[in-house]
Amino acid sequence: MSGLDWLILGGTLLFIVGYGTWRTRRAGDSLDDYLLGGRTASWWAVGLSIMATQASAITFLSTPGQAYDDGMRFIQFYLGLPVAMVLIAVFAVPIYHRLQVFTAYEYLEGRFDRRTRTFAALLFLVQRGLSNGLSLYAPALVLSAILGWNIQLTVWLIGGLMIAYTVSGGTKAVAVTQQAQVAVIFTGMVIAGYLLVHYLPAEVSFTDAMRVAGHEGKLNLIDFHFDPSDRYNFWSGITGGLFLALSYFGTDQSQVQRYLAGRDITESRLGLLMNGLLKIPMQFGILLLGVLLFVFYQFNPAPLTFNRPVYLQVAHSEQYGPQLRGLERTHATLFKARARATGQLVAALKTDDIQAIATAKMHLQATQAANLGLRQRAQTLLKQAVPTAEAKDTDYIFLTFVLNYMPHGLVGLLVAVVLSAAMGSAAAGLNALSSTTVVDLYKPRRPGRSEGHYVAASRWAAVGWGVLGIGFATFAARLENLIQAVNILGSLFYGTILGIFVVAFFLKSVNGRTVFWAAVMAQIVVMGLFFTTDIGYLWFNIIGCALVVVGSLSNKLVGTSS
Amino acid sequence: MPVPNLPAVSVIPPQPTDKPPLLPSWRAWYWLVLGALGAEIGLFVYLTRLFA
Repeated sequence: MSGLDWLILGGTLLFIVGYGTWRTRRAGDSLDDYLLGGRTASWWAVGLSIMATQASAITFLSTPGQAYDDGMRFIQFYLGLPVAMVLIAVFAVPIYHRLQVFTAYEYLEGRFDRRTRTFAALLFLVQRGLSNGLSLYAPALVLSAILGWNIQLTVWLIGGLMIAYTVSGGTKAVAVTQQAQVAVIFTGMVIAGYLLVHYLPAEVSFTDAMRVAGHEGKLNLIDFHFDPSDRYNFWSGITGGLFLALSYFGTDQSQVQRYLAGRDITESRLGLLMNGLLKIPMQFGILLLGVLLFVFYQFNPAPLTFNRPVYLQVAHSEQYGPQLRGLERTHATLFKARARATGQLVAALKTDDIQAIATAKMHLQATQAANLGLRQRAQTLLKQAVPTAEAKDTDYIFLTFVLNYMPHGLVGLLVAVVLSAAMGSAAAGLNALSSTTVVDLYKPRRPGRSEGHYVAASRWAAVGWGVLGIGFATFAARLENLIQAVNILGSLFYGTILGIFVVAFFLKSVNGRTVFWAAVMAQIVVMGLFFTTDIGYLWFNIIGCALVVVGSLSNKLVGTSS
Repeated sequence: MPVPNLPAVSVIPPQPTDKPPLLPSWRAWYWLVLGALGAEIGLFVYLTRLFA
């Protein structure tokens, strides 16, 4: 990175953090002020905060790489989200607002009992505590790749900054910084998209790029084929994705806290609906970046593996180095053949000559297959040489493009995008973890203390969870694909939590004892299925929820008949 | 374990007396979001087939 990049990166981050801290310097010291920003947020602030909380650095690192590798079918994951926004706006928002709760789990004690509230809160704390660690690891990956810094040191640096403003300003500081972060994120992504199209060869238009991507299977947006082991298709998205979104936005405190901060029901609802309208177009744009990257690298040499730190480490080893360098040379030769074949396909597509298109497509597919084989051999070799390293390189693809092709200044801005997203999302998570710890676990066991006491406890809880997340982040390098790891983790617990809330909302006659044991059993079954079957992870949201509901109903029936 | 003597919160959404901004009712807002989803799915199906 150049001096200008450092200036823009440092200036952007310092401005965001400084602005957030300055704007919230006169915040009140009641729990309401600290945990919900005094419940004064307008709909657009609620909406931006919801979007920024969901969009972590992982979104901007992994998603373009996923589209590059697997096409745009990941978009189907979000198809259930707008439906979930409507359902939550209709059913959950009025209840939470009417009861004036601080956390979603607080409602469960009034509806069931304290044990069920504590169980749901603990499930949330476990999964969010771990996910927050992953959210910190992603940007550390960026900086360690750029600077060669120790990844653990980087995690501590980013985590420390995020902890500082979350602890000092609470929810209001998180929301205010998120507004600036979203502005930086959208600016950076629009510029990246424009430059990617601009960098394509002069004879290749945007439409040509899309046609090449389509012929290579990258525009696989919708797939109606049903397969329970397939992670992303229409059916898993519209059902599993719906349940995941219902759980995440309706019962995960990191999101519930965003709309509880709304001034009234209207502001909270509109914030959720804003997310329902904008989320899919936003993800479409990010995935499109990945597809454009794929086309870009058809005409520009891509490295054998995008994970350059691991490549360089192995390339210099005596045992594996010669073989890896040999693969790299073959890969470079193959690139020329692939670029030629892609050029032929573009030319054939312009003529609409079916025979020419078929011939060009056949040539391109042959070179793509050879390229894929080489990349797989390289990944196997890297895994053999460095078993602990992340052999899958999709998380590095976007970053590699930014570093190698973006002009000075914009590199700093794009790195700021990644770090802004990381801090915005992790800060909201941290904020929710501390709220849940104090409101659902600490306060019921230490009642009657002053507001100041609980605010101080919330601050200490935020510090504790921040440090724990940083600790977990140091293990994240062993996980396959970051965004999938986060979603898998969420899906294991969300189904059970959602099941508890569905019973609470809709099955009025079920009591706390029944739903508690149904939830415990459901969680055990979900974990058992995860470790013993290859069911796509989105289905665990439905399975967990269904098990709690069915378990509650059958328990009740048994109790009634006996 | 005693069952708390609290009524379950009704799941029937309260009909807000205040109108939402821009559109005549909340129902219109919900249909807008769901309609946008339908349009997006339609567009994605079209793009998938167009560029296949």
